[in-house]
Amino acid sequence: MFSLGRRAHFAFRLVRHASLSSRESKYLTGTHTGPELVKMLETDNSKILKLVRRKVDERTALMAEAEQIAINGDPSSQEYRDKTRRASELLVFQDAWSSYESAKSNLLETHTLLSHPDPDMRDLATEEYPSLPPTLTSLLLTTFPSLLVPPSSSSQHNLAGALMDLKSGVGGQESSLFLSELLRMYTRFAGSKSVDEETGEVIKAKWGVTIVQQNDADAGGIKDAIVEIKGKGAYDLMRWESGVHRVQRVPATDSAGRVHTSTVAVIVLPMLEESDKVEDELFKMDDVKIEVMRARGAGGQHVNKTESAVRLTHTPTGITVSMQDERSQHQNRRRAFQVLRARLLDLKLSADIASRRATRRSLVKGADRSEKIRTYNWAQDRITDHRVPGLTVRGLEGVMEGDGRVGGGFGGLVGRVEEWGREVEVEECLGEMMEALDKEEGQGEVGK
Amino acid sequence: MLNNFRARLISQLGRAQANSEIKWMNQFIVDSTGPGAKATANTLRLEDLLRRRVGGEPLQYILGTQPFGQLDLLVRPPTLIPRHETEEWSLKLAKATTPCPSAPITILDLGTGTGCIPLLFATIWPQGSVHAHAVDISEHAVRLSTENALRAGVSTRNTDAKEARNTFTAFRADYTQDKFWEDPRLKPPYNLVTSNPPYIPLQEYEELPPSVRLYEDKQALYGGKDGLDFYRSIGRVLGFPGALASEATIALEVGHDQASQVAEIVERIPRIDIGSLEIWKDAWGKDRTVVARTHEP
Ligand SMILES: C[S@@+](CC[C@H](N)C(=O)[O-])C[C@H]1O[C@@H](n2cnc3c(N)ncnc32)[C@H](O)[C@@H]1O
Repeated sequence: MFSLGRRAHFAFRLVRHASLSSRESKYLTGTHTGPELVKMLETDNSKILKLVRRKVDERTALMAEAEQIAINGDPSSQEYRDKTRRASELLVFQDAWSSYESAKSNLLETHTLLSHPDPDMRDLATEEYPSLPPTLTSLLLTTFPSLLVPPSSSSQHNLAGALMDLKSGVGGQESSLFLSELLRMYTRFAGSKSVDEETGEVIKAKWGVTIVQQNDADAGGIKDAIVEIKGKGAYDLMRWESGVHRVQRVPATDSAGRVHTSTVAVIVLPMLEESDKVEDELFKMDDVKIEVMRARGAGGQHVNKTESAVRLTHTPTGITVSMQDERSQHQNRRRAFQVLRARLLDLKLSADIASRRATRRSLVKGADRSEKIRTYNWAQDRITDHRVPGLTVRGLEGVMEGDGRVGGGFGGLVGRVEEWGREVEVEECLGEMMEALDKEEGQGEVGK
Repeated sequence: MLNNFRARLISQLGRAQANSEIKWMNQFIVDSTGPGAKATANTLRLEDLLRRRVGGEPLQYILGTQPFGQLDLLVRPPTLIPRHETEEWSLKLAKATTPCPSAPITILDLGTGTGCIPLLFATIWPQGSVHAHAVDISEHAVRLSTENALRAGVSTRNTDAKEARNTFTAFRADYTQDKFWEDPRLKPPYNLVTSNPPYIPLQEYEELPPSVRLYEDKQALYGGKDGLDFYRSIGRVLGFPGALASEATIALEVGHDQASQVAEIVERIPRIDIGSLEIWKDAWGKDRTVVARTHEP
């Protein structure tokens, strides 16, 4: 019934969502029969089923209406196009629902075959059976929720990547040194090629990396830097780096050998595709004050100094952006506008999230950028992420240097944070949806 | 020694600017000493670059290039280094004009130097929409601007306007001469005339900072006693019958206090009818460019 390929696919999913399986494992361990499992699953998760069912029904209704328009009305009308577009957006629900239904009947039928009089039939069924409960459970507990809650708000915008803004915090020179190490970790992770351990194939660099701005500290290290990470998915992953990073180690300069604690603050901004028009829905050109640094005297032919620094001030928000790394004023200006746009979009996204969160009980920890998200402890050779329960990795150097393995090094670490964050996000939103559902049904009853 | 130069550069330029320049010099060394390059870390040392810089040599001559819009132009003494102000108004003009291959336009750039102004247009506008003629009295400038055209991938074939690509041709000519228009390589009428002529008056010339006066061509800077000699010449050149197309644009960069006098010179050019005249400010708030558009009389 199920091909091996399909089974392998689901097995893979279960491994990937290893942490989710805590929820799923409740159904997969123990000795309940197929029909018992289906009953348990469907009673415990009746709200998820209801939410998906509604989407499927919505699609069916839309298709019927569209057909009516096609027959009796004007198929070139906006109304027709809207209905069919929405219907095709909902197709994924229809598909998932059908998979779920067929997995369910498959499970129930195979279960009855387990006691079939024909021993051959029994053998076949016995062989098939173990793969079926995980399939069904994963569809209900993983696939459905992830369809109901589309990935982060950022995916609504057409993002070209991320701008990471790193600033040294407490700890003076140590902080600057640590900042340069973090920067190196990020650029190596995003910009270097890696090797697939199993196939030995060289995997090309994940994303394009450009250091947009860098201010070196006089005594070594970097005071602050902005790095551009360009490519699909860069923001969705790297945004989990926003927050305060703490380092604990004995600085080379401390002759007494005391452990110092220093910090670096990271803010990850969403970067839009660069457009020809400077102005867009994020700001009005009239609201941006453009300044060039310093007085230039007569200017023009009189002066050949390279004074290319540019500062932008967005008056309504008070955001200022200074850029002086390029020799060309034109380039500095372009860069400054890119950073301004990212800051404004970030502001907009945070406002969206805050307004949604006002109704929510729990918070995704670490969304507040002043919060400490991670500790790098040299003496204990460990990195601990404070958001994800129990997430400590050993082999600090390996993470910071990027050890080239798929799923290893920094990528493995941030990958786990992302997975956790996505789960929290799904759970929160799902919670909201269910609450809304309860309210609606409650009202329905009062109305009767 | 290195630290001594560093300290002197900081005292000359301020910390932030000095740090940026050192960073650019280091980057230059990295870029020019890579595998296959002629220079090595031994022949190209930061210390030597810093010594030259502290001695007053412009950074652009030391590094050999200057960005201009999207272009990365070669610069070489004594040809004038393109200025930020010129970049700014040229970009603005490039955006304000939208030629297309079906109606290509011709440009005359008077005193082209590195070729920066017309090369910027030729790389921004669509292929086949512009044919530029650039003149200069200096053989150095003619050669350098031609190199820059090739570097930017702009064709240097002097054809009649049927070429499918944008073209740039530079040649030696003196636009203060009465027989200027007798040169057969010129193909009037022109749709757009640009110039950043030498505009520094006598008094100010003597007070120029050494990095300008000692390194850049006097012929590129000095504009006569009142600084306006070349605008008067340009006025004569453009007043010649048939020099300009019926609807043409004239864009002239001016010194910090010359805009109104230059505007007056332009308005008095014989035989042309100025439809509109604008004075554009630069990013530092100085009147920098006089832009005039003619319309059919
Ligand atoms: C201020 S520079 C401008 C160079 C270039 N257009 C720019 O903006 O960087 C003036 C240029 O005019 C040239 N020039 C000076 N007198 C000239 C003349 N009589 N005929 C042609 N070119 C002349 C100089 O050689 C110099 O390259």
